[in-house]
Amino acid sequence: MSIENLKGFDPFADAAKGDEESVQDGLVHIRIQQRNGRKTLTTIQGLSAEYDLKKIVRACKKEFACNGTVVEHPEYGEVLQLQGDQRTKICDWLVKCGLVKADQLKVHGF
Amino acid sequence: MKDDEGEAPTAEAAEEVAGPQTTGPPEDDLDLDNLSKKKKKKKKKKLVLDGGEDEDEAHEAADPDLDLPEIPDDIDLESFGKKKKKKKQPLNLDELDDALPDEKEDDEVDLESFGKKKKKKKRAGELGGDDMKDDDKENVEANPWVDSDRDYTYDELLQRVFNIMRDKNPELVAGEKKRFVMRPPQVVRVGTKKTAFVNFTEIAKMLHRQPKHLLAFLFAELGTVGAIDGNNQLIIKGRFQQKHIENVLRRYIKEYVTCHTCRSPDTILDKETRLFFLQCMSCHSRCSVQTIKTGFQAITSKRSKTKQ
Repeated sequence: MSIENLKGFDPFADAAKGDEESVQDGLVHIRIQQRNGRKTLTTIQGLSAEYDLKKIVRACKKEFACNGTVVEHPEYGEVLQLQGDQRTKICDWLVKCGLVKADQLKVHGF
Repeated sequence: MKDDEGEAPTAEAAEEVAGPQTTGPPEDDLDLDNLSKKKKKKKKKKLVLDGGEDEDEAHEAADPDLDLPEIPDDIDLESFGKKKKKKKQPLNLDELDDALPDEKEDDEVDLESFGKKKKKKKRAGELGGDDMKDDDKENVEANPWVDSDRDYTYDELLQRVFNIMRDKNPELVAGEKKRFVMRPPQVVRVGTKKTAFVNFTEIAKMLHRQPKHLLAFLFAELGTVGAIDGNNQLIIKGRFQQKHIENVLRRYIKEYVTCHTCRSPDTILDKETRLFFLQCMSCHSRCSVQTIKTGFQAITSKRSKTKQ
């Protein structure tokens, strides 16, 4: 005897596929830090390791006309740093490029 | 929280007028009883009292602010203030009072047969009032099957249920219920590099949260450090304006104060096996909230300094 309902549909297919396809698994945290004076720093933490962050930062620098680097952190992996308050710009850009979905972005700071 | 301040004296006042049978906030009464007319009359009185008391309270609350340098009015972090709600309530109550007897009669009509309708109208007339006409119309519209022999349709019943619901819970009609109003955070610059959050402990108390928890959240969100000084004000490193702090507080309230299911601010945050759980007192839902994480912190000071 077979159960009709469960035929031809694997309930876990989604889960297995989800791991591979949505490279961006966790949240991407976008923070702002104050430096000396009125200068600020934007950090983007949690971008998937499968992306080449160096290329991303190169594009970002050009797009936002700011400097930026990739910093390696033992716990959080590679973190992007951009000079200035680029929070809204980087959010729009990441979504526009399809690197991150809008609901995965989490913007911190004031 | 301001709500509590407002509610407590009004309840007392209510008791003076209404006697021991009605205690607690008026909203509860609304839903529970509607049986005898005597009660209703009392309720009306009570409401008038409520309005007066509340305004007094608001003035009192605003007064102590006057000597401080910045006197922003009570901003509401969520949205418009309490006054509006209070104003609306008496109005809705009147409707309610008029509508409720009708409903009861509707049941009778449904159960037995028509023909009673005329009676109802007469009674309605006795009750009188301009609102009455509207209400009558509504009733006729709501229960079209009353006059005919046919069965009621699903849509009609649905309409009826919704009408009853709206009548009994005026807050639902008004949109969001129970907004809660916050005092604005007072943020003052200390020197050039630090900011003081003057009424920090007061706000933590208003939200019914541990100052420690709120502090951890603020520091994690702003990506900075600081301490509470002798006057119970929070000194934050970095330049921040009031709107910045407001934003962060708003996010804190959304995540850690209001219930995720019913958005009521009447919640308790308790720690259990390293996890924080938010327990709602009005809908009794219980859900975990995010842990506060600072995340990545870039090195902003000079490297030579950090090496020391």
